[in-house]
Amino acid sequence: MSAINVDLAVNGLITGLFYALMAIGLSLIFGILRIVNFAHGEFYMVGAYAYTLIALAFGVPVWIALPLAFLFGALVGWITERTLMRPLYQGYTSWGLMRDEYAVIVTFGLSLFLINLVDKIIGPYAYRGPPLVETSRITLGPIMISGHRLVAAGICIAVIIGTAALIKYSFWGKQIRAVSQNRLGASLAGINTAKASAIVFMLSGGLAAFAGALLSPVINASPDVGVFPAVKSYIIVVLGGLGSVPGSIIASLALGVIESFGAVYLSYQYRDAFGLILLMLFLLFRPQGLFGEKGREV
Amino acid sequence: MVSTSPNAAGASSPAPAMKPSSAQLTTTKTTVEFRAALIAMAFIAAIPLFVSNAYWLGVLIVSMYFAILAGGWNLLAGYTGQFSLAPAAFAMIGAYTTGLLATYFAVPPLLGIPAAIVVAGVIGLALGRAVMRLNGPYLALTTLSFAEIMRLVISNSIDITRGDLGLSVPGMINNRIVWYYFFLGVLVALLVGFYLLLRSKAGLFLQAIRDDEVAARRAGVDVVFWKTAAFALSAASAGFAGALYAHFAELVTPELGLIGQTGLIVSMTVIGGIGTLAGPIIAAFIVYVISEWLRDVGGYQLIVFAALVVIFARFFREGLWGLAKSGYKKFSAKRGTST
Amino acid sequence: MTMLSVRGVKKRYGGLTAVDNVSLDINEGELVGLIGPNGSGKTTLLNILSGLAIPDEGEILLDGKPCQGLTPEKLAHRGVMRMFQLTRVFRRMNVVDNLLVAGRALGLGPDEALSRAHSLISELRLDAVRELDAGQLSGGQMKLLEFGVCFMVPPRIALLDEPFAAVHPTMKEIMGAFIRSRHEKGQTFLLVSHDMPVVVELCPRSVCMNAGSVIIDAATRDVLNDARVIEAYLGGQAA
Repeated sequence: MSAINVDLAVNGLITGLFYALMAIGLSLIFGILRIVNFAHGEFYMVGAYAYTLIALAFGVPVWIALPLAFLFGALVGWITERTLMRPLYQGYTSWGLMRDEYAVIVTFGLSLFLINLVDKIIGPYAYRGPPLVETSRITLGPIMISGHRLVAAGICIAVIIGTAALIKYSFWGKQIRAVSQNRLGASLAGINTAKASAIVFMLSGGLAAFAGALLSPVINASPDVGVFPAVKSYIIVVLGGLGSVPGSIIASLALGVIESFGAVYLSYQYRDAFGLILLMLFLLFRPQGLFGEKGREV
Repeated sequence: MVSTSPNAAGASSPAPAMKPSSAQLTTTKTTVEFRAALIAMAFIAAIPLFVSNAYWLGVLIVSMYFAILAGGWNLLAGYTGQFSLAPAAFAMIGAYTTGLLATYFAVPPLLGIPAAIVVAGVIGLALGRAVMRLNGPYLALTTLSFAEIMRLVISNSIDITRGDLGLSVPGMINNRIVWYYFFLGVLVALLVGFYLLLRSKAGLFLQAIRDDEVAARRAGVDVVFWKTAAFALSAASAGFAGALYAHFAELVTPELGLIGQTGLIVSMTVIGGIGTLAGPIIAAFIVYVISEWLRDVGGYQLIVFAALVVIFARFFREGLWGLAKSGYKKFSAKRGTST
Repeated sequence: MTMLSVRGVKKRYGGLTAVDNVSLDINEGELVGLIGPNGSGKTTLLNILSGLAIPDEGEILLDGKPCQGLTPEKLAHRGVMRMFQLTRVFRRMNVVDNLLVAGRALGLGPDEALSRAHSLISELRLDAVRELDAGQLSGGQMKLLEFGVCFMVPPRIALLDEPFAAVHPTMKEIMGAFIRSRHEKGQTFLLVSHDMPVVVELCPRSVCMNAGSVIIDAATRDVLNDARVIEAYLGGQAA
């Protein structure tokens, strides 16, 4: 395999790792509430800003700013769940049967609100987040990569593995999976489903914020910085099968690689369109994705 | 209003002495909404008598653009239950159709605009057919992707469309007041069209599809036809609005198709009252005029409106129209008027 | 005159054969009961007959013409009407509009549809709630409304899926009277029910299914006394 292809592949995989942080959270939300969170990109944006501003404005070291960004994203996620998501499972809404539509409108509105709020309060200008390490070029065989990207990738891997382990083995992980499979059954078995939903949103917000923080040196924090990553994550969760965490991880890596090669060999201009086209094709012909279950009504 | 003889379930009832006509019973709600919308339109028609400021007349004209988009989207989302996130894309498609025809083939607006309606309608039909089996978030995501792809294509085809620089489009009417009434005329015509549609069996079928698609099929409703028809109609009206806007602004850019524009349309519809005939149209004016006014004052308009969307969705599903309705009921009750 | 002919219909869901080589004929004007324990395939068979599921094998003839695989809408136009076990009405539309949907969809003009809707409302004792949205009705009223929807245009055959399940005795009365009076006028029914007294009262003939197959198809009295049927119900509810 030629050097450039190895480089493309590795870089694609690394990009995929960052995508995975976004996609896992979105997938978990779908699993537990059966909705797509259209404000997901704004969790990313919030994390990018939190990291960048905490580090730059308060002079906090990057290694502390990073987990703080995670916590901030988790906080925003928790507030979102608490204020807006309860009607989806507690029934006290006049939307009644139109819960899907409620979720679309309310998360869409939340997205617009957060984008414009940040635009107004902090300003529309982009802020460049401080890199984790200053080394700008490291050569590993055929691959050239920045120090920050390499370290960020490593952290990503650790976080993804940690999250996957959490979902699989921890107490709350099992609760979450139970609620995802059968909400009514889980609550009858004594599981606090509201708390499980809250935890999922916190985790989801935190992970997305983390991604925003890690990428902020390259993709600078601006009010609409989350829009693109969000669209990517929608694509990924559908490809991987809505609700499947392993599917999301695999699809993330795949999309990263596809975009990496596609940008060079097919079209740089339309590099962002590949995912969109894949998304449309999957939704039209195989909505359950690669790994999802065949859902939906008769 | 129809009078019903009170009957406990189980008691036999005599045949009603007065059989209500279909106009009264099945369309009372829609007819009230239609009349309210007409009153609002009359008010808007009177404005140029008092306001001659060209800027504010322009603001109102753009409001009409959004009112058409909101009304068309409401037909698809509010009445048929299909939450498409592509309305702005269809406006953009309409705008570029007439713009490109004018630029490259010297097609006059009076032909370009109908062409835009047809192109947007046909693409809408195709998209509607393709997304037939999807609903909820799946439908939203697919239409979102479609909209983004369309925008990227137009934005990147710089040789043909001049991309983000925008395409100059010939004007159509020189006088802003004439434009005002022309746009308003189109809006009212579409309002009347939607009203007649909703009063007909189509209105019954679309709402049945929204409420329970399987039950609608069981009852014999040709769901495939009506869902695609709703999509096509919604897209065609959006294309119409876009084409008109193109000749009014004399410039089209891919910004017409941004997701943020769809966000504005959705906001207006939800705040006005999704699934009501008058709400979205009236709210389009309120939202846009206030947003332009606030823009001068401090620019918080988008924050406010996004917040309102969230609050209304969460607490006031029926929107401003619903609030007006319950306000009126309370008012009548207090005054002791019998219904 | 055989109206509905089911021949060798099979339906598999993954490893499970829900309907296994089912054949039966229903003649015009019959009121046939379809009984069997939970999971015996009754609802799947009904789904197939009403177009909500496509059989893997076999054919279904309505008035001599094949109709397996047709969509529910097309079947409705051919005269197959199906009531759901879990009531399905148009919740945000009022009672009259609910009925008008079926009437207009199946070809009635606006005035005729409206007058039929009103007479059905009277027959089903729903006058008091005529202007309410269907979502505001009680469960029993919703069921009656669904009944009305199915009979706006009298179907060739009415497939009723457990219409008496969890229903107030008064409503049962109304529904039973409705079915009986229509049947006397020649309406054909296939009635799925667990309510044995009602099956005995209404259906001269019954078909019993178990594990996807038809185990007996005979006069109701004989069916309910059949050893296989009693065994299928594990202790049985033979009248």
